[in-house]
Amino acid sequence: MTVNPADDLIQTRASRDLSFLDLVSIDQVTDKDFSLIMDVARAFRRHGTYKFDFNKGLSLMNAFFESSTRTMASFDLCAKQLSMDTSNLSSSSSSTTKGESYLDTALTLDSYNLKIITVRTREAGVPEFLARHVNAGIISAGDGWHEHPTQGLLDALTMLDHFKSTTLEGRTVTIVGDILHSRVFGSLVRLLKKLKATVRVAAPETLLPVGVENFGLTVYHDADAAITGADVVYALRVQEERGAAGFIPTLREYSKMYGISKRRLDLAKPDAILMHPGPVRRDIDVHSALVAVDERSHILQQVENGAAVRKALLWLMTSRLNGKKKEIVRK
Amino acid sequence: MTTLLIQNGHVVDPSNGIDRPLDIRVADGKVVEVAPSLNVKGGDQVIDAKGLHVTPGLIDIQVHVREPGREDRETIETAGRAALSGGITSVVAMPNTSPVADNQAVIEFVYKRAAEVGLINVFPSGAISRKQKGMLLAEINEMKQSGAVAVTDDGVDVQDENLLRRAMQYAKTCDIVLMSHCETEALTRDGVMHEGWVSTQLGLPGVTSATEDLAVQKNILLANLCGARLHLLHNSSAGAVAAIRAAKRAGNKNITAEVSVQHFSLTDEECFGYNTNAKMYPPLRSRDHVEAIIEGVKDDTFDAFTTDHAPHIEPDKLLPFADAAFGSTGLETSFAVMNHYLVKAGHISFAKGISKMTAEPARIIRVNKGTLSVGADADIALFDTNRAWVFDVQKTFSKSKNCIFDGKKLTGKAVMTIVGGKLKYRDGRIL
Repeated sequence: MTVNPADDLIQTRASRDLSFLDLVSIDQVTDKDFSLIMDVARAFRRHGTYKFDFNKGLSLMNAFFESSTRTMASFDLCAKQLSMDTSNLSSSSSSTTKGESYLDTALTLDSYNLKIITVRTREAGVPEFLARHVNAGIISAGDGWHEHPTQGLLDALTMLDHFKSTTLEGRTVTIVGDILHSRVFGSLVRLLKKLKATVRVAAPETLLPVGVENFGLTVYHDADAAITGADVVYALRVQEERGAAGFIPTLREYSKMYGISKRRLDLAKPDAILMHPGPVRRDIDVHSALVAVDERSHILQQVENGAAVRKALLWLMTSRLNGKKKEIVRK
Repeated sequence: MTTLLIQNGHVVDPSNGIDRPLDIRVADGKVVEVAPSLNVKGGDQVIDAKGLHVTPGLIDIQVHVREPGREDRETIETAGRAALSGGITSVVAMPNTSPVADNQAVIEFVYKRAAEVGLINVFPSGAISRKQKGMLLAEINEMKQSGAVAVTDDGVDVQDENLLRRAMQYAKTCDIVLMSHCETEALTRDGVMHEGWVSTQLGLPGVTSATEDLAVQKNILLANLCGARLHLLHNSSAGAVAAIRAAKRAGNKNITAEVSVQHFSLTDEECFGYNTNAKMYPPLRSRDHVEAIIEGVKDDTFDAFTTDHAPHIEPDKLLPFADAAFGSTGLETSFAVMNHYLVKAGHISFAKGISKMTAEPARIIRVNKGTLSVGADADIALFDTNRAWVFDVQKTFSKSKNCIFDGKKLTGKAVMTIVGGKLKYRDGRIL
């Protein structure tokens, strides 16, 4: 007998609600929230692209003030698979280019009675700021160098599934690359600490934020040493313009020092996995042959898990069983 | 003849070493008698200061009054009202107005407006360089002749060491104090808050404290090279404390320094939640820096306390933290912050705190204020030093509401403020 997908989801949810009404930081995610999101995400993943009617009649806006490929597409598809109506606002078409503030743009969008606004900005803190002033639930899709919480959640799902565990206790995760400018790191490190992982970072001193060790991690300058014995090797993208700004001399030298080559990945544990938030710069962050073909690479699984996690959030944040509502300040 | 008699108060006048119950008689805008149990004479307006501390009116030597040019943020009148409610009777107006106070016309305008408004004493400072561009010297002597009490490129700072040296030599020639804001732009770049654990958690670009340390050292070095009078504005870093302390211990009497009250009271944790009212330069720093600043207050590395009162309209603060304007208002709270965080916390005596808000700043800008000596201008503040209150920015006298002390519990409040012998403020009302 095949299970009805909607029944499966409802049973998996088991009348649970999230504690938060906006998601702007992993710091908001309680242990209960986390297990609810993971359970529901796995259930959505079981049913592939099945179209649920959970969010029928509700609207979502992707307000991306900074360019994105996968995150915006992922939210859009996920919303549609929940029967939501969606619209996308990207930086080139936004009126912020005409001098309108983020707040005024968000207030305008909010007047369309949207249920969810996903927000991506080049400045840190904008999703948190907007969440205080608009009725729609805000989901951060990445803000400056701060956080990218849905990325962190999908990364956690990918790791936990690989290790078939509910925590990462006893596991070592090595994050390599541009830590300083990475919102992916911001969410990932917070979640890894919640999951009790041992965290190492490997980067040149110029790409490490001050006091990063306070997250509870070990700093390495030598990528080989950092990767040796790791369970997860997580590579971050380095951007071309960092060279011009004096953080690194050249991408060539960077890729020699911190690029993930097959030799380097072989230093990790035999069952270790390779992850990357994308977009990958082949042969700079990660050796080309490792990206999509090497069995240790989970880069494409991350994308699939991204859809599952985002569907879970879109459903759980819009359909609240406890009737909890946002309180906002009009400015 | 208008006379005032302030009775039954506890007088604290550090310029005369007074810290005891005394009465004060004021006539024609001047202090005429300071003695125990003065008798009421005919025509005396009697002020009962029982339970209150009576001090010289406070002097704040770093205030952005925004007039001329940005009257939407603040005016000489609204800044004056805010100052009176904080027990402040004299301010130094910073020159970064529009137009910049880099010529005698703007200096004279500020005096003229302040006289028309008639609330507090406003002493303008002039720019060091024309339009504060750091390229060419402004006409410093013309401004001095018009009454500028200092020259400063506050807010931008002179980056070119050669120009800074020339400016110091020239200021010395004109016998005027040069005030430096102490920032090394190449190290500050896009930084918007103190660089440290909090900026890392918030993902905000940080400003290393080295930007201030280096500029302070450079300024001291150049001031000593040419023997100029140098005042270091709003110091906030442990490195600045160490450099200034060393310079003073080496006997450099030409160097004075201030700390803005937010830098001994608050840390960078105020920035959590992307609170743009906590965005200022120098930035609120981490606890270790704040502790070093307090040590510097205790051992007199710092001469004066200021507010760096910086009003901004709401749209300039309702922005991403990185894009929001720098600065917080503070005229209404500086006494209470000093009293709460330094005196009540047991770091310094009340008299020492008052000294750094009266006699010391008067000495730095060389005005005959900040004292209750017989014959002095009767600028007087009366404080209830024990009153616990919470600052509510919605009730501010300032035109702007960007105050980092909004909602903070404070201790001590100005009850009455007298300027030039006239009672201008009483119990929450401007008279």
